[in-house]
Amino acid sequence: MTSVLRTDDLSLGYGRHTVVPALDLAFPPGEITAIIGPNGCGKSTLLAGLARTLDPRGGAVLLDGRALAELPTKQVAQRLGLLPQSAAAPDGLTVHDLVRFGRTPHQGLLRQWSSADAVAVREAITAADLDDLADRPLETLSGGQAQRAWIAMMIAQDTGVLLLDEPTSALDLGHQLEVHDLLRGLAARGRTIVMVLHDLSAACRHADHLVAMLDGRVVTSGRPADVVTAELVADLYGVDCTVLSDPASGTPVVCPRARLRPDGP
Amino acid sequence: MIAPLQRSRPTAPPGPSAPPRGHGRLGLGGDRAVLVHRRSAAAAVGLAVLLAVVVGVALGAGSTWLDPGRALAGLLGLGPPRDQLLVVTLRWPRVEAGLVAGAALGAAGLLMQTLARNRLATPDTVGINNGATAFAVASVVAVSTSMAPSALALTGAATAAALAFGLAGGSGPRGYRFLVVGLGIGAVFGAVTNLMLSRADVDAASAALPWTLGSLSLATPLAVAVLEAALAICLPVAVVLARPLAALRFPDPVAVGLGSPVRRTRIGVLALAVVTAGFAVAVAGPVGMVALVAPEAARRMAGPGTTPVVGAALTGALFVLLADLLGRTAFLPLEIPAGLVTAVVGGPYLLWLLLTTRTRRSP
Repeated sequence: MTSVLRTDDLSLGYGRHTVVPALDLAFPPGEITAIIGPNGCGKSTLLAGLARTLDPRGGAVLLDGRALAELPTKQVAQRLGLLPQSAAAPDGLTVHDLVRFGRTPHQGLLRQWSSADAVAVREAITAADLDDLADRPLETLSGGQAQRAWIAMMIAQDTGVLLLDEPTSALDLGHQLEVHDLLRGLAARGRTIVMVLHDLSAACRHADHLVAMLDGRVVTSGRPADVVTAELVADLYGVDCTVLSDPASGTPVVCPRARLRPDGP
Repeated sequence: MIAPLQRSRPTAPPGPSAPPRGHGRLGLGGDRAVLVHRRSAAAAVGLAVLLAVVVGVALGAGSTWLDPGRALAGLLGLGPPRDQLLVVTLRWPRVEAGLVAGAALGAAGLLMQTLARNRLATPDTVGINNGATAFAVASVVAVSTSMAPSALALTGAATAAALAFGLAGGSGPRGYRFLVVGLGIGAVFGAVTNLMLSRADVDAASAALPWTLGSLSLATPLAVAVLEAALAICLPVAVVLARPLAALRFPDPVAVGLGSPVRRTRIGVLALAVVTAGFAVAVAGPVGMVALVAPEAARRMAGPGTTPVVGAALTGALFVLLADLLGRTAFLPLEIPAGLVTAVVGGPYLLWLLLTTRTRRSP
């Protein structure tokens, strides 16, 4: 089930502007990786490159050793799922309809509904705790419920790698935890999860592996407890802080004190 | 001893591949199966029946009135020879033109709207109809040419679409740029048409006028035959493409994530819409509002979240036939072109649809 995702000398950009130059990065299989960094550091661009919504201008993204660009997009979609930031669904779609779309890469013109599809959709809805909401139109759901429905769609897609761009950015604390718990359960079943997170403390708490980016380059990567230091936070965000250890989980907690560069970079 | 009465109830749980709610599953052996959206299918059957009735009425209507059943019988080669002559030779060509032109415009409108994720994106609004009109009018009033207006109409439609597609740099990530560029190109072609009409002498201008309104009296057997051939290819392809097109109703990154061939689908659907709309304008001129109203009504009938290609084609055919029927019978001895009727009736109907729709965002 687990797929191995890594980049090989990957550079990404828009127009003449290179955002991510020559990146070599491997994502630990079966673990949750969070990409962190200040606004504009290239973390969403990197995720877009990993998800092939942005074509590399050099190098490659390798999925199980083969370049994404060389694989048919449908085959990629069977192994790599994507939840973009603030994804919107067409009007009138129910939760069940949305989750069903996750089966698209496993279906064909004459293979529109197999027993595997039915099982996958049912299990995904249950895994995301949406059984009671399955027939509700998406627009009637709360933000947390809707986000769970999108993740259920990814679960039904049944891919070894899941990419998520700020999956919790619009959610309150309780719903954030719900989403992180759901992702933790998926990682426990061998899924490789890569997500962009804004919230440094949430990344420390919920990710196994951090990739810290600045100006398109990886500053450091590793376990949160190993890499998150006051110096790193100062480098990334220009903020003076104290890094504590969460008494319950042992993960780092960042307490910001003041901006180091009051005039801004 | 009497065994307790047992009612045999079919309590078996839904099979492992029970179709999703509202769908029927047509097994094709093994893992292969096709899903049928029940409400869409029911709507299509209902529309087809209604359309058959309207065809009967349209064949019966005219200087000599026949009842619809007798007219349909005549069309099928039954009944007295006089009926057959009247129905098959005199009236069927016009009804046939209305059927195919309406179906083509309805389907093209649905494809375009779904592609651009915008209800306002139809062949009318992106300049395809205006391009076709400008070329057709040019052949009537301005340029002495041996080409029939209907042949030039298709050239015009293709030119407008190619210009819009080229200038927009493809359909763009959301089809939006294509829509805006198409709007501008449509305006230019509209102005060219008006310029030609104002410079032409009165006879030529009045001969060209139907090409600016849309009328079934413009149809030539060749143009109808060509459109029929185009529909025979394009409609089945459109039904097949409706599946990947459904994924394109999501934002692009979601569609890519689901493995949908975004670029290929978009170009394919656009080509289908241009070909069907272009050939339809070559048959009957730019019959207004059909491409806007028919998909809207078809979606209403088929239910939210559907892409009813067949339903939109049937609705379009129904709309054009009814408009022509009204235009040539209600105001005798005047004959009102179908394009005027669709515009007059379609506007308020569209408003009513939009104002009574629960959700008001783009399809």
